[in-house]
Amino acid sequence: MANIDRIKGNKIRRFSIFRIIEHWAVMLTFGVLVVTGLSQKFYSLDVSQWLIFKMGGIDYARLVHRFTGIVFLLITSIHIIIGIIGVAFKKWHPSMIISKKDFTDAIHNIKYYLGIESRPAICDRYNYKQKFEYWGILIGGLLMIVTGIILWFPTFITRFLPGEIIPAAKVMHTNQALVIFLIIAVWHIYNSIFSPDVSPLDTSIFTGYISKERMLTEHPIELARLEGKPLEEIITEHQDIHYENLETS
Amino acid sequence: MMTITAGGKIIFILMAFLVTFACFASDAFSGEVQECLRCHAKHGIIKKFENNESIEAYVDAKKFMVSVHNSLACSDCHTDFSTEKHPSRRYRSKKQYIIKSSLVCRRCHLNLKATPIHAKVLSEEEEGKPHPCTNCHGSHSIVHVGKRTFKTEEQHCLKCHAYELSMEFNNGETLSLKIDASLLKASVHRKLSCSDCHFGFSSTRHPQRNFKSLRDFSIANSETCRRCHFDKYTKTMESIHYIKLSQGNLKAPVCTDCHGSHLTLDFGKERTLIAHRCQRCHPRIFDIYAKSVHGKALFDMHNRDVPVCVDCHKAHDIADALALDYREKIPEICSNCHANEAIVSKYGLSTNVVKTYLSDFHGVTLIFYKKQREEFNKPARQIAVCTDCHGSHNIISTRNTDPAVVKANLLKRCQQCHKDATKNFPAAWLSHYEPTLKKAPLVFIVNSIYQIFIPGLLIGLILQIILHIWRYAVNR
Repeated sequence: MANIDRIKGNKIRRFSIFRIIEHWAVMLTFGVLVVTGLSQKFYSLDVSQWLIFKMGGIDYARLVHRFTGIVFLLITSIHIIIGIIGVAFKKWHPSMIISKKDFTDAIHNIKYYLGIESRPAICDRYNYKQKFEYWGILIGGLLMIVTGIILWFPTFITRFLPGEIIPAAKVMHTNQALVIFLIIAVWHIYNSIFSPDVSPLDTSIFTGYISKERMLTEHPIELARLEGKPLEEIITEHQDIHYENLETS
Repeated sequence: MMTITAGGKIIFILMAFLVTFACFASDAFSGEVQECLRCHAKHGIIKKFENNESIEAYVDAKKFMVSVHNSLACSDCHTDFSTEKHPSRRYRSKKQYIIKSSLVCRRCHLNLKATPIHAKVLSEEEEGKPHPCTNCHGSHSIVHVGKRTFKTEEQHCLKCHAYELSMEFNNGETLSLKIDASLLKASVHRKLSCSDCHFGFSSTRHPQRNFKSLRDFSIANSETCRRCHFDKYTKTMESIHYIKLSQGNLKAPVCTDCHGSHLTLDFGKERTLIAHRCQRCHPRIFDIYAKSVHGKALFDMHNRDVPVCVDCHKAHDIADALALDYREKIPEICSNCHANEAIVSKYGLSTNVVKTYLSDFHGVTLIFYKKQREEFNKPARQIAVCTDCHGSHNIISTRNTDPAVVKANLLKRCQQCHKDATKNFPAAWLSHYEPTLKKAPLVFIVNSIYQIFIPGLLIGLILQIILHIWRYAVNR
């Protein structure tokens, strides 16, 4: 979907208002869930107990956790429904679908990091790192929702399922929470804040815009599609900028 | 009355002179006494009563010789008898004989009511309770009371309190003041003197005190324990028993109700004794406990590992077992034994029980509720502790019980809080087992996957980040 409208001078519109709001919503609910949830997981730590007492006690911490969980469930449901509708009826480009290229890109990049390849992988709207994050959080989030509901209504669930489901759900909920927390705390925070590519902060999800320069380096395939130019032209353009940078520095 | 008393005194002094004179004059008894002692100084003369009781008509000549009455002739007391007369008399019982024989004392000792002790005894006699003189004073070996010396204070007190004395309270209750000397000897306080506890009393002082009731007397007397056992006494002031007492429930026990008074025993040696002490007031709970796994082991096998009442409830600072703060301490109380390898491992019991409880939902919640209550005075809900599933006094072993029965019982326990629990629900609790492939395969597998996955993921991500930074640094 070549779309000249999205290019505004040196900036390119990357995220719609809806996605910006969605990110804020997920960010805030995630924050609350992490604080109320991990403090329960690591309940013996002083900081956890301090947090829980600040929230007014364990009952309130659990209450807040559960109802924020419902908000998270709603956000996730809306996201999935809109995604399905968009792809099915509005002919959106399913840009998050994992393809074989993502695996070859990952290998290519590791080779590049090790100095075997001369340049990084050429990626589309979302690179393999972003896809990994997205699916990690989405699948993990769904697991959290399912296991969370099981833990919230154990007597109801055990009417249909064996009792062992409950401790299994607890083990999964608590471990999956750690997985998601690690993906966000390590991977997402690095890639969007500390990575030299974006440092001090990747603002695109807040402003909705990304610089053309970053599009050239990070998402050349999408840029080519947007500008309706062949990919090779974009790459040479990128290399020119690259050399210019090298000369000036 | 006064003239009689004065006359009595003169007679007494005269008699004393005579007695002394007689003693110095001759070592021998009068002719009559010698005549009687010819037979009665020998063993073997038995007087039989109608109810088949008997008494030996033996007189210890040596004791009689030093008695205050050694100047009297036999017939002075045994009035029907003389050297010529020896009538055969019939008595229903030994008791009747003693009462009748004792009446002769009062022929000479007329003004008995002048002394308080005798006044009291006689007033009881008027109510129909006979007090034969010989019970206290003896018969042929009577010595002068005033001249008796006592080696110990105990002997001094027992000179009266070894006999059937009693005191009456304002409400008409009476208390026997007879002290069994053998009990005193068996008591842990055997080395104490009477006045160590009976403060204010001594060989010269014997204050008269009034109490409303027997119970008032016991409660007031238990104060005396405080003088030595101050630590224990202070502890009891925190106990439910003391609270009940101070609220006016006089049935609440004081020191002596559990420890006894003149027979104070060392409880440590006989643990069943402790349970039996509590049984006096808590018989229903005792019966339940006696049938429990702990009670059976205590009574049937004399097991010293199992808890008796005080191990969970404490002895002196007994808390209100229905109060929330006691409830919150239950896992701690049970863990005193059940987390102690040295105690429970010999019965094949796991010490994991407390750990698995505390790390699960109920345990974590309990930890928080406890802290919240202690630190912020925040009222907490009740949460399941050990006793809610296992019972308290009625704990039984599940070893020889059909698992299906155990399961059904467990469901009932769950339903006390989880009203809509169904038959699958109890299995949600892993019964204190750490998940294994055998016990809880699903939980074990899920956990194992994450145990590998999380470190793998973390290492992968960090490695990528390091490589990325390294490449960036190289490019610059």
